[in-house]
Amino acid sequence: MSTRTTRGKTAAMSIAAALALTLTACASDSQGATTTTGGGEVSGEVALLTPIYEGTEGQRLLEDELLPQFYEKYPDVKVTVDYTTYNKLNEKLTTSVASGLIPDVMMMGVGWVEGFAERGVLADLSERGITPESLEGDYSDEIVRAGMWDGDVYAVPIMLDTRFGVARMDLLREAGYDAPPTSWDELLEMSEALTIRAADGTLERTGFDILSLDPRQMFETMLFSAGGDLFTEDLSAPAFNSEAGVDALQFVVDLVHESKVEDIGFSSANADVNPLISGRAAMAITHNSLWTQTEEAAPELLDQLEPFVIQGEAPGMFFGGTLATMAKSSKNPAAAQALLEFLASPGPALAANEQRGNVPALTELLDSDYVKGNRLVQFAMENLDSAKREGGPSQWLEIRAEIKPAVEAALLRQKTPQEALDDLAATAKTAMDR
Amino acid sequence: MTDLRAAPSNASRTSDRAAVPRALRSAAPRQSRSGRKMRRAGWLMVAPSIAHIGLWTAIPVIATFALSLTDYNVFSAPRWIGLENYVEIWGDPTFRKATWNTVVYTFWTVPVSMAIAVVIAVALNQKLKLQNWYRAAFFLPQVTATVAIAMVWLWIYNPQQGLLNAALAVVGIPGQAWLADPDWALWGVILVGVWQGIGIKMLIYIAALQNIDESLYEAASIDGASAVRKFFSITLPMLKPATFFVFVISIIGAFQVFDQVYVLTDGGPANSTTMMTYEVYRSAFQNFRMGMASAQSVLLFAFLLVVTLVSRRATRSDAE
Repeated sequence: MSTRTTRGKTAAMSIAAALALTLTACASDSQGATTTTGGGEVSGEVALLTPIYEGTEGQRLLEDELLPQFYEKYPDVKVTVDYTTYNKLNEKLTTSVASGLIPDVMMMGVGWVEGFAERGVLADLSERGITPESLEGDYSDEIVRAGMWDGDVYAVPIMLDTRFGVARMDLLREAGYDAPPTSWDELLEMSEALTIRAADGTLERTGFDILSLDPRQMFETMLFSAGGDLFTEDLSAPAFNSEAGVDALQFVVDLVHESKVEDIGFSSANADVNPLISGRAAMAITHNSLWTQTEEAAPELLDQLEPFVIQGEAPGMFFGGTLATMAKSSKNPAAAQALLEFLASPGPALAANEQRGNVPALTELLDSDYVKGNRLVQFAMENLDSAKREGGPSQWLEIRAEIKPAVEAALLRQKTPQEALDDLAATAKTAMDR
Repeated sequence: MTDLRAAPSNASRTSDRAAVPRALRSAAPRQSRSGRKMRRAGWLMVAPSIAHIGLWTAIPVIATFALSLTDYNVFSAPRWIGLENYVEIWGDPTFRKATWNTVVYTFWTVPVSMAIAVVIAVALNQKLKLQNWYRAAFFLPQVTATVAIAMVWLWIYNPQQGLLNAALAVVGIPGQAWLADPDWALWGVILVGVWQGIGIKMLIYIAALQNIDESLYEAASIDGASAVRKFFSITLPMLKPATFFVFVISIIGAFQVFDQVYVLTDGGPANSTTMMTYEVYRSAFQNFRMGMASAQSVLLFAFLLVVTLVSRRATRSDAE
């Protein structure tokens, strides 16, 4: 009897000890103690929602090259991937939040993090050892800030999408110019000189293409060039309807209607071929991926592409990008963090950037062969200090959707630039005060 | 079904019982038990449909009405705000524009595609070579994904390499930036809607045409009626019930237009092609304002309800 009691006590104590050990292990997991050490301690299934790695090539890169490397390091983690595009990312995120099935790791754009962080969807990475200080050496300040909300880190940057000016030097030289413009006055003069129309007035070549980019991104680039900002420094009110904003919008409206540099409909954001490649534009505000597009479509033109910062009151360069975040509700936070850190690490980040022709967020990748061999990406990285990003307030996604129709209304002369921006500012203020 | 309808009420059952001869009364409980069994079986049979409609239609509809009175952003619990969403919609110029665009789209796509569909249906109801091939060809847009169709139309409307401008150039008409010009963009969307809507309407009309008694045409021929006269005096009047049906489903379909706008224009330029459904989508998935999206959906529902009731009234008076 007494032997049975002793055995029972021993068994109970063993179970209690095992339970305590398990709980301790779980607790250390949830606090992220195992996150950066890697190895077999990290386990579980994690879901990844990504708008990058798109298409067959992107999928192949992620599933055949990157994830096998991740599994080598973390054999007990299983990753399920949900591919989407930036156009559908909002829907995916909304429905996943509504259903309570939030992916463990989510990639989202610059300007998106603030809203999801404020609403408690994202994990505070500062609490898990990823602090602003730990990122400072690897990224420029403005890029680190793109992943922050309320002083804490919620996202780690992977790639940047930059917009700046690019000139076709062969066409510029034909017109007697040997360098891209260095001021708005020069930009206007050269745009007019480089524009070609047929005898019947049909536009054959625009001197400066502003229509192949999303109107929001085009306006933001010009706004930054005019020395303006999207919001006040404390993010309490819109600032894009300032004098600088109106000047920026007036400049592009005048390019179309007064200088007749480009006609509405001459190009669009979903144009099959970039007008700089087809020779239908001599200069343009464009995306850094123009280099890879040209490599595929007309490699002989690569030497003719000359990037330039649109210089007004300030250097005009805009950057968006893709950042990796983690769900606050993740059931396997250590595994999720391991995946996030892996995807943002130099090797995988470089491969993802190369696949999309984008700008690596990590400063150390400036010396990589990919960056050295891509003039536009190299230019973007060298000038990141003067680049500004979009976003800021947590209601950015709501405000963002309203910018395009406002800019279009001004471009179509349905409203003056001042009216269009004031109306947009009123809408933005209502959203911010809500 | 007949038994269920014939089942007597409690009151009539009592009075019937008094009238039934004693010898026959013993059979009544057996009959009643069998009636109950039949009713139970009937309810069991319709239960899956009731559950399906309740779960996927009734509850979402009730939830939409309830959410329309709240501020709900998915991330936090809905907050009751009464009619504030409706007040905001009333003062929202973009939603007013979307409503007007939807009405214009419906006004043009429904009658135009109906008129074209009836003509094609009559033509394809004749004994033609490759008749089935033609019918399939006209019906194809209906069963093709709208996104794929819209992509093809994007190429057709392309100002530089598009088919439409190339065709116009042949006859000396200058091309347009169809989807970038606010004066043309809505017409571009309407044309796609007309083209895509012809197939299903044509199919319904062909089915209706095959039910028209041939003797009417024979009698008209004996009286010397021309083909045009037969069309207006026999075919169109005999197609009235089908026409009302097509009219109602077309209006409902037109008010729900979304895919074409999403792919072709994204609501632009400058909101010139935005529609009610597109604004619902924007509120819900771009602005995370589910309460507002619900209120906009309720208004869309109200629009459709009114249109359907008016059409139903018209159908009934026609039947009488």
